[in-house]
Amino acid sequence: MTTAAPPIVRERPRPAPAPGGPSRSPLRRGDPGPAWLFLAPFGIFYLAFLIGPTIFMIVASFFNTSLVHTDLGSFAGFKNYAEMLTRADFWSAMWHTLQFTIYTTPPLVILAFIFAVLTNRVRRGQWFFRLAFFMPYVLPSATISLIWVFVFTPATGLWALVESWFGITPGNGVLANPNTAMIGIAIATVWWTLGFNFVLYLAGLQEIPRELYEAAAVDGASNWAQIRYITLPLLSRTTTLVILLQIIASLKIFDQVYLMTGGGPGISTQVALGLITGTAFTDDRVGAASAASVLLFIVIVAVAVVRQLFDRSAARKEA
Amino acid sequence: MTTVTDSTDVRRPQRVVTGAAPAANGARIGTSGRGFQIVSAIVLIVFAIIWLIPSLFALKTSLTDNGVAALGAGSILKDWNPTLHSYASFFHAGDIWNWYIASAITSVITAVLTVFFASMAAFALSRLRFRGRNFTLLLIVLGIMIPTQVLIVPIFQELNAMNLLNTYWSVIFPQVPAVIAVFIFKQFFDGIPADLEEAARIDGAGRWRVYWSVILPLSRPVLAAVTILTFVGVWNNLLLPLFVLTNPDLMTIPVGLATVQSSYGQRYADIQAGAILAALPLIILYLVFQRQIVEGVTGSGLKG
Amino acid sequence: MATATGLTRRGFLTAGLVGLTLPALAGCADTVSAGLVGSQLNPKTLVYWNLFGGGDGTRMQTMEAGYQKTHGGAASLQSTTFAWGNPYYSKLTLATVGHKPPDVAISHLTRAKPLYDGGILEPITEEHLALVGLKASDFNPTPWNAQKTDGNNIAVPLDTHPLVMFYNVAVLKKAGLIGGDGQVVNLDSMDTFEAALAEISKVTKGPAITSANVGGETATEWRVFWTLYNQNSAATPFLSHDGADLTVNWDVFEDVTSRLQRWVKQGWLNSGLDYATAQSYMFTGKAGMYLEGEWELTTAQLIKGLDFDMAPLPTLYDRPAAQADSHTFVLPKKDRTPEQLEQVMGFIKSMLEQSMTWAKGGHIPAYLPIANSAAYHKLLPQAHYASAAQHAVYDDPAWYGGSGSTFEGIVGAQLGLVQQRAITPAQARQAITDQLKVYLNTPSPL
Repeated sequence: MTTAAPPIVRERPRPAPAPGGPSRSPLRRGDPGPAWLFLAPFGIFYLAFLIGPTIFMIVASFFNTSLVHTDLGSFAGFKNYAEMLTRADFWSAMWHTLQFTIYTTPPLVILAFIFAVLTNRVRRGQWFFRLAFFMPYVLPSATISLIWVFVFTPATGLWALVESWFGITPGNGVLANPNTAMIGIAIATVWWTLGFNFVLYLAGLQEIPRELYEAAAVDGASNWAQIRYITLPLLSRTTTLVILLQIIASLKIFDQVYLMTGGGPGISTQVALGLITGTAFTDDRVGAASAASVLLFIVIVAVAVVRQLFDRSAARKEA
Repeated sequence: MTTVTDSTDVRRPQRVVTGAAPAANGARIGTSGRGFQIVSAIVLIVFAIIWLIPSLFALKTSLTDNGVAALGAGSILKDWNPTLHSYASFFHAGDIWNWYIASAITSVITAVLTVFFASMAAFALSRLRFRGRNFTLLLIVLGIMIPTQVLIVPIFQELNAMNLLNTYWSVIFPQVPAVIAVFIFKQFFDGIPADLEEAARIDGAGRWRVYWSVILPLSRPVLAAVTILTFVGVWNNLLLPLFVLTNPDLMTIPVGLATVQSSYGQRYADIQAGAILAALPLIILYLVFQRQIVEGVTGSGLKG
Repeated sequence: MATATGLTRRGFLTAGLVGLTLPALAGCADTVSAGLVGSQLNPKTLVYWNLFGGGDGTRMQTMEAGYQKTHGGAASLQSTTFAWGNPYYSKLTLATVGHKPPDVAISHLTRAKPLYDGGILEPITEEHLALVGLKASDFNPTPWNAQKTDGNNIAVPLDTHPLVMFYNVAVLKKAGLIGGDGQVVNLDSMDTFEAALAEISKVTKGPAITSANVGGETATEWRVFWTLYNQNSAATPFLSHDGADLTVNWDVFEDVTSRLQRWVKQGWLNSGLDYATAQSYMFTGKAGMYLEGEWELTTAQLIKGLDFDMAPLPTLYDRPAAQADSHTFVLPKKDRTPEQLEQVMGFIKSMLEQSMTWAKGGHIPAYLPIANSAAYHKLLPQAHYASAAQHAVYDDPAWYGGSGSTFEGIVGAQLGLVQQRAITPAQARQAITDQLKVYLNTPSPL
């Protein structure tokens, strides 16, 4: 890595079918056979475990398919959809997903930003901060959940101990109370996944040309002014990205909820994937679960499309 | 080599890390006042400590006697008789070995298959021209958007029809088509200049040779990053193995810990020892491959 | 340079890891081949799944050890304990659907029915029982008849676990409710019972009786309701036709729930306590009585200096009744050789014969040679409430019903709110009807 390296611009997603193709490659004019051979191994898995299940999910959503029978079951039309869309627990699961997003996104964005900006400016020990903030991200959800359930142990847990230091009488435990259980899950999640946003912001910070700061410093801008008027605006793209990724991740949340509360108390923390797996594997209703899956699928793809559109417009602006 | 890497933007994430090098940093620090430096450092240290506490507390608990741990956090913090008893009882009980093996086998095989197949596909998309190439690219972009977790129910049904439930393959196969890997490889391959492979072509190398002997060796950093990330992703996956592995002997370690109660009952020290044992290989992996992991996460985060 | 050393270090570590992994793999060759080619693991070992934690788990382990001792050592049995509730039954279903079920498993009696309807369980014939010298008359008729489905035996009951009344002897003595035999006096009939509640309240200066109803608890509310509801001679099934019809007698529902609300209003019954706190009230004398399944006996016995006893819930309405379920042994569907069948039945027999160990945890043995034995009759306080098993009332069969099921979750949550007096009985009725609609209108997937 030399300083002579050309200034690195932000990664620019190319429009999917790259116009003109890789014109530098001499191999492009071949017979199609070998190309398909290169694609086939991945393609088989792609068809078998992405496209196939997607189609089966859509088909099954129109039938009363049962887990314990091998056939599709009787035709249900849109009944499964109608059921899901009118079920209180479906909407409450969607609401809990939103609630989780609302609880986790601000701390994940703000704390990750602050930690990254500060880490980027300290003279030594960056490795230590990277370790502290990022390491939890590589740990299994099972480890995270076992640790945090223990921290939240009613009355005798670490959380209760800290509460008592601050003169708060520990209650029945964060996770046992329907009003606070989701907050407990959110705290564990922020602790777990902050590292991801942290390194994204660090990466973004490396791309800001230092001349900007130098010029600002010459003009007498304070550190805070530099952050406010240079760092913050230049990282806005990363911030949008982080928020969108967090929304998508929230829609797919399962592990922490399953392991920490099992969707409880009651159904106060039940989320979409918990409802889907419960409907399919406990109620044995694959058809109804498929309808719920399709609905969730549509929501997630919609957010992903927004993301693609956003990426493209951002890329166009830069270009 | 230098020219190759420096002229491609796929190496960019690398800079994220090397940006920590004194040269780049020194200049930036010139713009920060001393007071600001100190405040920054204090704030960071406080938060870093807060961030470390849960892990350290779990570690401390795992080294405490079960009886003491049952008395609560205060007793755990005051206890100074560390013991490896909880770890010993885990290894003695034996389940953990089966779970480690399941996790290791599924993670390694998935990583190898994913990297191999995805890089082949990416090579075709980046280097070969064929009919349906644009359509294939479109499928890749669409594939990135498919939330695989949502497919858990049909995937279960499909694996059952294939008679693969309760085998390692039921965990491996559905995780092989990681479309994001194709995307990352393609971006990297696109940045490799054509002259290198032209030389090989002149020497009479076929497509396979170009892929195997020219492209792959030049792609070591991205191969390493995708391999490690796939490994970590499979190791940490809960949803899929939770439903496709019901035999306690074949469970991966997160599933085993999460579902099999007899492994620890309600003994806090044992539970925390289990949590740490599940994470231990990843902690080691992180310490060894820190750079690749951070690069890979940044790269795939920005793209995926 | 740095990379070079980095690579060697990495190479060294990789070599080390491989070096460590290979022998480990070789050591577990059976497991690995099972995972890779689906070969069967230890075909001789009996695989048994259960859901017992806490004191039950410890006693079950003792019984398993008893089996192993007489059946060829540790290798004869592999027992796995899962967290109980829906996830357990899901696992059992998924394993059987995926052709890799355990040889034998524990199931609640009320959950065995939907499993059987779904084709997950094999019927247990008289011939199967005869293999190890068992017959229908060896079992308490209440659970035995309850497990019969479509004329088939689907489960072998191990016990009956009814809702019972725990009481703090010191508190009740002060309230003048302890008779000459040291046990609670007869409190049958509503007036007698309410008068007793009033007396106890005076002693405790707080609630007379506690029953968990917050903190995610839904099962206890259901158990209490179902007990009192079925003490009415006008009680009808809550659900009929495998869960297709809601046939609860709403008048009785109204009567029971408003009665509970009245107790709360009088300060006799707690308005909101979670599971652990509800029992600690009775343990510490803040309340005189406590309603829960008899399994909390183990917890109560661990409280130093607590003088407590247990009794069936008094008959407040027309007839005795106690909500109950049974732990049963079930045979998941799989191909079995005659030897394997005999092995499984032998295991069940061995567990039944060790029912005395099991009974120490509070459960009432279903196996009559133990339940009728002098040793069991001498076991206290078990003998004081054992008659509750005769009046056990199980949950109605429904594909979404049974212990810890969706049904109990929905109804129990509303009953919990009623007890908090957050909603009226009429509102609870409305909410229950609304929330059950999905399930009532859905044809059983089984």
